[in-house]
Amino acid sequence: MTVASPAAGTEDTGGRPVVPGGWLGWVTSTDHKRIGLLTIGTSLVIFLLMGVLALLMRSQLAQPDLHVVDPATFSQLFTIHGSGMIYMVLTPFAVGMGTYLVPLQIGAPGIAAPRLTLLGYWLYVLGAVLMLSGFATPQGAHAGGWFSYPPLADKVHSPGLGSDLWIAGVLLATTGVIIMGWTVLWTVLRRRARGMTMLRLPVFCWSMIASCLMVIGAFPALLAALALLAVGRADASVFTSNTWNIGYQHLFWFYGHPVVYVMFFPYLAAVAEVLAVFSGRRFFGYKGTALSLLVFAALSMSVWGHHMFATGQATNDYYSLTSIALLVPAGVEYFGMIGTILGGRIRLRTPMLFALAFIPQFLIGGLTGIMVGTPVIDYHVTDSYFVVAHLHYVLFAGSAFGLFAAVYYWTPKVTGAMLSERLGRLHFWLLVVGTNLTFLPMFALGYQGMPRRVATYASFDGFAWLNLLASIGAGFLAVGIGVFVVNVLWTLRKVALGRSGNAGDDPWQAHTLEWATSSPPPRFNFAADRSLPPITSFAPLLDLRERRASGAAVGAEQEGASGS
Amino acid sequence: MKRHLPYVVVAGWGALNGLLLAVLGIYGESSLVFWLYGGVVALLEVAALAVLASSRTGPDQHVRYRVPDRGAGAVPVVALGCALVALAFVYGLWLLALAVPLFGVAIALALHGTTASEG
Repeated sequence: MTVASPAAGTEDTGGRPVVPGGWLGWVTSTDHKRIGLLTIGTSLVIFLLMGVLALLMRSQLAQPDLHVVDPATFSQLFTIHGSGMIYMVLTPFAVGMGTYLVPLQIGAPGIAAPRLTLLGYWLYVLGAVLMLSGFATPQGAHAGGWFSYPPLADKVHSPGLGSDLWIAGVLLATTGVIIMGWTVLWTVLRRRARGMTMLRLPVFCWSMIASCLMVIGAFPALLAALALLAVGRADASVFTSNTWNIGYQHLFWFYGHPVVYVMFFPYLAAVAEVLAVFSGRRFFGYKGTALSLLVFAALSMSVWGHHMFATGQATNDYYSLTSIALLVPAGVEYFGMIGTILGGRIRLRTPMLFALAFIPQFLIGGLTGIMVGTPVIDYHVTDSYFVVAHLHYVLFAGSAFGLFAAVYYWTPKVTGAMLSERLGRLHFWLLVVGTNLTFLPMFALGYQGMPRRVATYASFDGFAWLNLLASIGAGFLAVGIGVFVVNVLWTLRKVALGRSGNAGDDPWQAHTLEWATSSPPPRFNFAADRSLPPITSFAPLLDLRERRASGAAVGAEQEGASGS
Repeated sequence: MKRHLPYVVVAGWGALNGLLLAVLGIYGESSLVFWLYGGVVALLEVAALAVLASSRTGPDQHVRYRVPDRGAGAVPVVALGCALVALAFVYGLWLLALAVPLFGVAIALALHGTTASEG
């Protein structure tokens, strides 16, 4: 146990240290920054693996009647791609960002319950390993889709061990994320430094409050759904009852819709921070945005039934009403973002490029979400590529662009080195072209009737050229991600060799407290030589600069007056 | 009020969910849905009470912090034990014979206070 003031500069690990440090120090670390980096790093590695699965799928679908993989393998690919991206990449990355950033942004030396946070990380990693190990079983990985409805996912139709491993893996990983969500929430609510009132929390912290409330409220429903699926696989009679068939869907989507916002809010907030910093002004409509995040999160808990419109067994009127009501808080957040940019002194650095692209691209995802939240349209496009396009505009064109904005923005803080601006811009443009070339044609494909999850299609279906465009776009995405990987590895290599140069504490002229400490921050975040600045608003460093500037101006005036 | 704002946020968010559940009640749904959503609203209010209890016993903002790390060496071992328990449902309960000793090792590490040097 260590008692630390925010300005503590000494390290005392307490307990009985195991020597040496090194990798053992990382895997058993209670430093929130290390746990956050482990989570982010793990999810990025899985992101690359899931990307390879996507490329295999797009290779198969590039032309009619191609057979790069057999249909059974194709089903495994889309199942593990979807499951991996949602359960093992975007959600853990978001919580990992919270684990790293929240204590720094609130001026705390650590996270609440660090050992529990570490446990959450390890459960997540082991869950991911279990899920992926399905590929090594005789019948391959799970193939029932990321939401695995019974009876498709029951023992009769999915007899392989891969399905059991999928259940065990997702259950472990989700338990880990719930634990991490709790600790991040408790940290931001109960571990704030002196002066950091709730209404001085940065927008990112508010996004983590909203996200973590959804994690603790909605994620246990997934555990219940998985337990039900496991019981149903042990006793086939469970799913002969419609109560549990449709009950599984309720349990699953009670988790399955809020998780979309857990995979969205932290990235939206990262974009908000980037927009404010690179516009040179504080975020516009701060209180409205904080409130709208909470309302947005609550509404998102009540819309799950819109995924079940086509079952005919959901209260469509209610779910459609709440789904369309989401437009109101989303609109407030969009006004906040656009209001921040308008009149700002915009600097078009790489994080800002990603943040600016997020705005129109996510809008496409959001507006098509309103379309599929309307039963008459949903009946037409359900289970088609239209839904695939909508989902990817939300999670890739939206959230992943926010993710990359966050990576480029916070890398100097995390490593002390800047990522290459030239490679960053190349990555950005390849990703913009690739994203829209891949996912925009899918709207048309879905509208023309191409069902999702088909392993191939006939030449007379008329889907060929749109699929070819989408596959060419996937190639752009692959090259773009390759450039990103080179950029990150090159920078990390330079850091390891000591040739990276020093990014400085605050290379962007940022607003929030993490930029007041050294890069990378010390063990307890704020050392004696860089103590916390006065926390006067949600942008304390901007306040400090403004005070210094006005003080300098007054000083210059007085000097001028005395000189004359 | 300001001192208990964290409580108000969590409780208010739970109450907003309760309101949405009440509106769903007007439209009608299956009983499972009401148990599910109602249970979540209750869970959120319990979480809010935990925040309130913590607010009453400690300061809203901190100058000194406890940063516990003793026994962190046990954590990966516990996680491995949990994974073995999960695998026991896939490959058979014999795996519990491996999981239980692991939990024993974890308890020993925790009691010993084993923590890695983070240098």
